[in-house]
Amino acid sequence: MGPRRTSPRRRWTSAGGPTDFPAATAARVRGARKAFGSTVAVDRIDLDVPAGAVLGMLGPNGSGKTTLIRMLLGLTRPDEGEVELLGRPVPDALAETLPHVGALVEGPGFHPFLSGRENLRRVAATEPLLTGGAIAGAVADALERVDLADAADRRYRGYSLGMKQRLGLAAALLVPRRLVVLDEPTNGLDPAGTREIRRVIAELHAAGVTVVVSSHLLAEVEATCTHVAVLQAGTLVASGELAGLLAAGTGGLAVATPDVELAVETLHAAGAAAHPEGDGLVVTDGPPAPEVVALLVRAGVAVHEARRRQARLEELFARLTEQTP
Amino acid sequence: MSAPGRLRDGIADVERGRDVTGPRRVPMVRLLAAEVRWVLRRPRTLVMFGVFALIPVLIAIGIAVSDRPGRGLVAAVAGNGLVLPVAAMTLALALLLPLAVGTAAADAIAGETAHGTLRGLLLAPVGRLRLVGMKAFGVLVVAVLATSAIAVVGVLAGLVVVGAPDGQLVTLSGTTVGLGEALARVALVVAWTVGQLAAVAAVALAVSALTEHPLVVLAAVLAALVVFGVLGAIPALDWLAPYLLTTGWTAGTDVLRDPLPLAGLVESTLRALCYVAIGGGFTVLRMLRRDA
Repeated sequence: MGPRRTSPRRRWTSAGGPTDFPAATAARVRGARKAFGSTVAVDRIDLDVPAGAVLGMLGPNGSGKTTLIRMLLGLTRPDEGEVELLGRPVPDALAETLPHVGALVEGPGFHPFLSGRENLRRVAATEPLLTGGAIAGAVADALERVDLADAADRRYRGYSLGMKQRLGLAAALLVPRRLVVLDEPTNGLDPAGTREIRRVIAELHAAGVTVVVSSHLLAEVEATCTHVAVLQAGTLVASGELAGLLAAGTGGLAVATPDVELAVETLHAAGAAAHPEGDGLVVTDGPPAPEVVALLVRAGVAVHEARRRQARLEELFARLTEQTP
Repeated sequence: MSAPGRLRDGIADVERGRDVTGPRRVPMVRLLAAEVRWVLRRPRTLVMFGVFALIPVLIAIGIAVSDRPGRGLVAAVAGNGLVLPVAAMTLALALLLPLAVGTAAADAIAGETAHGTLRGLLLAPVGRLRLVGMKAFGVLVVAVLATSAIAVVGVLAGLVVVGAPDGQLVTLSGTTVGLGEALARVALVVAWTVGQLAAVAAVALAVSALTEHPLVVLAAVLAALVVFGVLGAIPALDWLAPYLLTTGWTAGTDVLRDPLPLAGLVESTLRALCYVAIGGGFTVLRMLRRDA
């Protein structure tokens, strides 16, 4: 806070984007460390979540994802290091920042003897951004958004795992947020539910909301995220834009041809690196794709297909998490 | 699920300043109302109130059907209905009321931790200090309602089943006081009992802030009652008595004497306040520091 906090009222009403929290990073972690007894859950992590990004937090079970998320939200105090949320320090400014943050952490938490609607009303009553009169409407909207309107008045006790998860999501989306943190949001969801979560994340992204989503399901992250952070045993082994990380990964040009031997010889003679793979070969280093194809055709190689090979997040992830002893 | 448009509109509303005036907090009254609604919607709370309402009824029936004269306080009820609420509250204070308050305190923090709902409250965010205030209020409401249930049903059952000679209360000292003063004396016992229960609540909340198992809180309350009872009964440990919360727990029946001796009520209330300060202080310290 301090110098930055000048007349919040005027800032709100000024034109343009989210100006009350002008930071370009929605969340920022510097040197965060947390140990539980002799187990180091998070070991000196630096991480930036750019405003407007959808950051996928990846890592095997026990790699520190949840601890890191709990630190971001002020639920766990780091032993060392600093955390900022929406440009303000955690935990000192949480009273100002948390109203703009929606979170589903460590599974949905609700009371079994209350209905979904009553549970949400209880959460809504504690939301600083909701006026008393707006609570009922906000609750109804949130229930509808996660397709729980029909089951809203049934007791939480009888909800399926997927319904519980949706109610947790509804609580995170009760009011328009600047940052939404979802810890394993697709746990217990069927494929249709998983698609809906993806759609919600895409909607939030389209609306300019920053999203942090942790998951061990790589395909899910690949489909929805702009950025990734990969954790392994409490350390951050990679982070950045998804596209950049993938491009820096394997890649190469895959050429489908029956004349593998001739093609490899030709390419090696031209100084390119190539090796047989699948029903053809892969060129990992050498001239641009059109020249490679022209070279092969001139040498009399039948080129059935040539395409740039897109690295999969799965390969990247395997590479990153396996090379660490 | 909705189109992105709705979300965008919502954010635009916030940015335009609608319903938003910078950092703001939920009015405390709204938090307290939400807490009380939650406490009173819990089935076990309602069952508990029902049980407390039954206590004076059972005593009244017992006296009405008994054909030989009993002894002590319960016998005093026989001739005078307005003794019934006081006797019932004194009986319940020995174990049942502290257990009820312990249950409420166990649900208040440890129970919420176990359900994962405490996290939600902290993320809303409800400030940690206000959270303690909200929880303490909820437990106190249970204490007030449980004690009042005994008192109200006790007065009614006393008047209906046992009756009051000429609408007057005959004190243990042999004098009589009018119905109005009798009711005022019952109200005094209610207030005094709630004070004692506040002491139990403060300590139970402190334990509740330490654990995520509600049963631990209940076990601690029960164990403390038993240990205090045992310590209070050992003559060699007389010097301990002034420090034991349970020492003054029979002071409620003082209102049945005339003139009303206030010393016991005042002393036990002061003792209870010490417990409230210690338990409350510990709860606040713990809640300000703990992870959730």
